[in-house]
Amino acid sequence: MAAVTEREILIKKISTYQFAALDLQLFLDTHPNDRKTLMKMKEYRDMAEPLIEEYEKKYGPLTKDMTSTNNWRWIRGPWPWENEEDTDVCL
Amino acid sequence: MFMKKKLEYPVNIKQTNPKLAKIIISQYGGPDGELGASLRYLSQRFTMPLPELKGTLTDIGTEELGHLEMIGAIVYQLTKNLTVEEIKEQGFEDYFVDHTTGVYPQSASGFPFTTASIAVKGDAITDIHEDMAAEQKARTTYDNILRFCDDYDVKDAIRFLREREVVHYQRFGENLRLLTDKLDSKNFYAFNPEFDTKCFKNQMKKKI
Repeated sequence: MAAVTEREILIKKISTYQFAALDLQLFLDTHPNDRKTLMKMKEYRDMAEPLIEEYEKKYGPLTKDMTSTNNWRWIRGPWPWENEEDTDVCL
Repeated sequence: MFMKKKLEYPVNIKQTNPKLAKIIISQYGGPDGELGASLRYLSQRFTMPLPELKGTLTDIGTEELGHLEMIGAIVYQLTKNLTVEEIKEQGFEDYFVDHTTGVYPQSASGFPFTTASIAVKGDAITDIHEDMAAEQKARTTYDNILRFCDDYDVKDAIRFLREREVVHYQRFGENLRLLTDKLDSKNFYAFNPEFDTKCFKNQMKKKI
């Protein structure tokens, strides 16, 4: 069976920081004046940022905002439900 | 998460198990599943009387779409590259005959997704109570799914989703309190705060 790839390790790191930020954002919806949580949320968001940049440079876009390449890499797999072993039959 | 080319929490299942997929699909299109949760919250939010409520329903409703994507990924990975023998052995023929290994929103019993299992009452008190009950119902369903899981990779993802139900319940509970704090404490539950604005302690300004 497939070992955990470098891509998967990096995406797990990004997911960890992004999830921490998302959970705090939800908390902020009901505690909008909690400055400490607001700072913490921004901290996690900032920690994810360089990792996202690294990921997109190596493996292609995580969102459709990234347009720095000259072809539409968005459609290239693996998609979130796939792994490196999944390939499209027509390729 | 949804709208990003990654899952909210990674799903990496190595061992297929179509029998388990047929149970887990209930959280895709069943009565307390993620599709219903998302539609419920994203629909209720339009007429909510507090900014906190609009924010919470928007954000949790979006997160539920991310959970729908995770459940879809689990079902896909549990039914990948099956042989006809495996389909027979695991009793997957009844699903397979209608959908092959496509991911269709249905309950574990095969009932197709229906909005009859969600509610949008246009009454913030009623709707928040519905939302809190919905989170607990989904938590119970995940607990029931875990009773039939022995694969670590599946359990790991299901446990994450179960935990989110508990967090969402807490956020809705806070919203209920934020709302009742603004209502006439003689009787919180006798009026609809989305329509009978006289029930607010300080008459609500229409503009929020």
